[in-house]
Amino acid sequence: MMFGWFSSLASPKRLKEAGVMGMNDRNYSIIAKYNKRRLYPLVDDKVQTKILANKIGINTPHMIGVIKYQYQVKNILSIVSGHKEFVVKPAHGSGGQGVLVIRSYTPDSFETPSGRKISFKELYQHISNILSGLYSLGGKYDVALIEELVHFSDIFKNFSYQGIPDVRVIVYKGFPAMSMMRLSTAASGGRANLHQGAVGVGLDIKTGLPLRAVMYNKPILKQPDTGADLMDLRVPFWREHLEIASLGYDMTGLGYMGADIVLDRDRGPMMLELNARPGLAIQIANGIGLAGRLKEIDKTYPSGLNAQERVDYVLGRLK
Amino acid sequence: MKKFFSVRCILTYLLILSAVYAAYAAYYKIEYWGFNFAPKQNTNVWTIEAHVFFTPNGEPIKVSLARPTASSEFKILEEDVVANGFKVKEINKNSPRIIATAKAGTEGEQNLYYRVLLFDNVDGKGRVKANPPKKPEVPVMDDQLRDVAKELLNIAKTQYPNDEWPAKIIKLFNQLPPEPTVVAFLPMKKTQKDVAEAVKTLLAMEGISSRIVRGIKLEENKKSMAADLMLEAYIGGKWKLFNLKTGEKGLPKNFVIFQRGGDSLLDVEGGENSAVKFSVLKSITSSFKLAGKRAELADQKIRFDYSIYNLPLAEQNTLKWLSIFPLAILIVVLMRNVVGIQTMGTFTPMLLAMALTKTGFVPGLIAFGIIIVLGLSIRFWLSKLNLLLVPRISAVVIFVILIMQILTIIGYQFDFKVGLSAIFFPIIIMAWIIERASITWEEDGAANACREIVYSLVVAVITYFVVNNEYIRHIMFAFDELNLVILFTVMLLGTYTGYRLTELSRFAPLVKDKE
Repeated sequence: MMFGWFSSLASPKRLKEAGVMGMNDRNYSIIAKYNKRRLYPLVDDKVQTKILANKIGINTPHMIGVIKYQYQVKNILSIVSGHKEFVVKPAHGSGGQGVLVIRSYTPDSFETPSGRKISFKELYQHISNILSGLYSLGGKYDVALIEELVHFSDIFKNFSYQGIPDVRVIVYKGFPAMSMMRLSTAASGGRANLHQGAVGVGLDIKTGLPLRAVMYNKPILKQPDTGADLMDLRVPFWREHLEIASLGYDMTGLGYMGADIVLDRDRGPMMLELNARPGLAIQIANGIGLAGRLKEIDKTYPSGLNAQERVDYVLGRLK
Repeated sequence: MKKFFSVRCILTYLLILSAVYAAYAAYYKIEYWGFNFAPKQNTNVWTIEAHVFFTPNGEPIKVSLARPTASSEFKILEEDVVANGFKVKEINKNSPRIIATAKAGTEGEQNLYYRVLLFDNVDGKGRVKANPPKKPEVPVMDDQLRDVAKELLNIAKTQYPNDEWPAKIIKLFNQLPPEPTVVAFLPMKKTQKDVAEAVKTLLAMEGISSRIVRGIKLEENKKSMAADLMLEAYIGGKWKLFNLKTGEKGLPKNFVIFQRGGDSLLDVEGGENSAVKFSVLKSITSSFKLAGKRAELADQKIRFDYSIYNLPLAEQNTLKWLSIFPLAILIVVLMRNVVGIQTMGTFTPMLLAMALTKTGFVPGLIAFGIIIVLGLSIRFWLSKLNLLLVPRISAVVIFVILIMQILTIIGYQFDFKVGLSAIFFPIIIMAWIIERASITWEEDGAANACREIVYSLVVAVITYFVVNNEYIRHIMFAFDELNLVILFTVMLLGTYTGYRLTELSRFAPLVKDKE
């Protein structure tokens, strides 16, 4: 990575002209300014996020239960009884770490979507790890959230290798500003994080149509595992996606955030989580600098609109 | 207007202010405390010992010896008198003489010692303003000698037209081979004193008052010597000093005046056969140790007393160690926010670098590698046991301690430096590196785990090379105000919104595609 590296550098001046936002700029000029620290727990704690979302009318996967204490871990079977499948995730996790999907199970064997079978002991261990803070920011004690599995829509079946494809929408001052779809690959191990090798498909914020796709920072045309043409990707219920993202702002008050939205076969778009420090890879997936986009919102977009109006504005305004 | 009060502006002002302050402090410390930018600077300390001896004649004794008085040409570190059976008058800064007295009836040869330690001796002008002395008496000599003297003055005048009279004469006297006329006037084996007296005589003929100045030439390992001489002549309302060998004007830095003018060097009442012999010894002391004395002599004592350099050595060493940390922190900030290297834990690389300075570079790296590899293997075994998080990390910590113990024992038994360096690594940091690496390994693969370790190590190595530089360490300690400059630099970097170096590569596709 170090060699031949300098020749591939872009000049800061040209990046600036292209409106590309850097980490320092994001942290100093945007996050520190528009995201109040006291609002963070609203999105960092997925249990809280879910409760808030349900209050404001945002669709989320139904919660099955919460395991707060170590002694409750052994009750996992009775908590999930009546559900054929479930997801265990740390309430304070980030980047999909610690998420365990169980597709089917018997009392002593649990099967994940990839077909791997784990024992009850291993499941117990996983939940214990969550509680002891292995996946939480700063290693603080955490709780395990158990929720219903999202039955993701077959429309994306050809575009994703295992895992759940999701739409990430960057919301700035309540306006959906930029979006992309994240598709897991074999290289990413079924996870939807771009730095782990997932494919990012930039979606036009107005139409939801694919702009370009990248994997490991490089443009690609086809899904590497399924061979599907990524430009054929169509996201239904685009307006509903944007509504969820926009409502996320009303719900949390965070001026800059990322909303992760998945499409459920039966229930439509659902908010999976919100992120107060969304990454900058979305710029590469879109081929567009974020700083320029945010500046435009600052300068020309009206204020005082409600969520619906903001979505209307975005749909009617951006090309 | 708003721009002038933005956080960035205020921090910039503070940075400039702190830089100005640091520059002033550096000037102050160099000027008054004798600090230096280079480490391990030494100062010559000259010890002059005057040995006075005489035989008492039974009457009350009073010994009076001229001493060098404080002047700008040198600094006195300490002085003392050893005189058994004598009562010594207390010496203060301005007393011109050492006075020692003893009762009548003292018997046997008496030995008195006066010792003075000088440092920071510099060249001086050696001029003293004074009222004109009375005209010198015309020397009495026979006609023949008078003719020779006149001849000498003529030769001196023609040969050295540009010099002042004393210099003319001294230069003439010191010519090699000697001018025949000089030989007629001075004995072949002339002493300093002969030269001095001859010059005085000739100057008197020209109507110039002159006198002999006694002092000590600072030369190494001088033993039992008589006082050295210089000549002082009254020219243009001032007494001016001349070197009796070269005729050079001014007080050279290696000459310390004990006595000038009419007083004698040594006076002994109640004794006979008295004499004084001088010994000179040069020793070398760290400049740092003399800082306090310098401050005292420059009337800056209070300021020095409240500085770190007046603390006991153990505390000083601790603070010296700490004063390098801000620089290491600055490197970490630069690496993360300007270069954009992701490391394990914010200050892990810095702590590793600090450990490396104690272990030595290569042994430290090898020991680090051994601990990490062994630790990771044990951690993989532990992960199979499905332990809870805190007990698991605790187990890793204990394993790290055991590995360090074993390495140290092996290192000791086989005189193996790598092993011995193991104990300097911070245990908890090592355990966390192992824990983090193994989680990354399990979740993101071995490549990512290794990359994280390597990146942390690269930053640690860079930090090590900066922090381990002797000059940088010395400067950061001796001029500790620089830490303020670093503080505001770090704070100003907290407002840096430009791209990180790694982002220029990461976001390159965004501008390259559009071409």
